[in-house]
Amino acid sequence: MRGIWEAAILLSAAPPLFRLWRGPSFWDRVAGANSLNVRIALVLALEGVLGKRAVLLDVALAYALLGFLGAVLLARFGERGER
Amino acid sequence: MRAAAQAFMALGVLLLFVGGTGVLRFRDPYSRLQAAGVADVGGAFSFLVGLSLLAGWGWELGVLGLLALLFLFTGPVATHAIAKGAFLRRHPTNGEER
Repeated sequence: MRGIWEAAILLSAAPPLFRLWRGPSFWDRVAGANSLNVRIALVLALEGVLGKRAVLLDVALAYALLGFLGAVLLARFGERGER
Repeated sequence: MRAAAQAFMALGVLLLFVGGTGVLRFRDPYSRLQAAGVADVGGAFSFLVGLSLLAGWGWELGVLGLLALLFLFTGPVATHAIAKGAFLRRHPTNGEER
């Protein structure tokens, strides 16, 4: 049961991974990284609840926060400066 | 309760798949950002609602609620920051890639 949900979320992480790999522009890569971070945090939360490893919930919280920070930082970096 | 939780989680995964299809198929970065931003926030929130129905009462419920609120508030902010950056750098909108 748990493996099916994890496989579904990781399968839905394939298009953002493709955009991160060869997005034509810098903004596609940043958006792909952001979507990938959301899905990884969801997998961590799922493993924490269904796998009875509650530490992973805190890991998911910290990961989501740092992923958001990284996306905003990259966007602000690309706004000015050369690519 | 278990059926409701699985319905919410299935809705979340479906929304993630729809957003992923939009990210894969749309033609310029603004359209892709719109698909990713809307569908990711909705899908993540619905999936976390289903997970917190499965988790039951306890401090895990608090952490899951905090995570859902975090996604609900920071997802649009990140999408807006990326789109604003692309707009200020004069990225073309009509599907022509450079």
